[in-house]
Amino acid sequence: MATQLLPLELIDRCVGSPIWVIMKGDKEFSGTLLGFDDFVNMVLENVTEYDYSGAQTKLPKILLNGNNVCMLIPGGMPEGNES
Amino acid sequence: MSAPAPAPNGAADARDPSGFLSEIIGAPVTVKLNSGVVYKGELQSVDGYMNIALEQTKELVDGKLRRNYGDAFVRGNNVMYISADS
Repeated sequence: MATQLLPLELIDRCVGSPIWVIMKGDKEFSGTLLGFDDFVNMVLENVTEYDYSGAQTKLPKILLNGNNVCMLIPGGMPEGNES
Repeated sequence: MSAPAPAPNGAADARDPSGFLSEIIGAPVTVKLNSGVVYKGELQSVDGYMNIALEQTKELVDGKLRRNYGDAFVRGNNVMYISADS
């Protein structure tokens, strides 16, 4: 059997790098991933919170509850993606 | 190999969730709930469920101050994020 990369191992490789978090419902976060746990609760730094309305909120450092996380995209949000 | 939680030095440092929480105890924080309501106050304690005890709490709805609480307990299932105020 070929070695496979487990989903959480992929996220482990993103620690220290920009990441884009898409929540259930119309909310997104982008920032630098500092750490996470088995529930995919995440510590993020230099965060921008994107509202359903497109409003942006800057947050220096947060613990994001993993409960409503839908998708994680390594590398962060593409430039000029959201306005 | 299979353990997903990063703990570079073995102990919980500020980089993973439990380390971050112990780092910000006593500090002013912003707690946002899934409903969008925001609570700002001094973080007294947190547990593994993200239940939160706050002191000198301000309740903000749509950015406007709605109420003040001396002491407040927030049940963890409602919490979207805890932010350390800079």
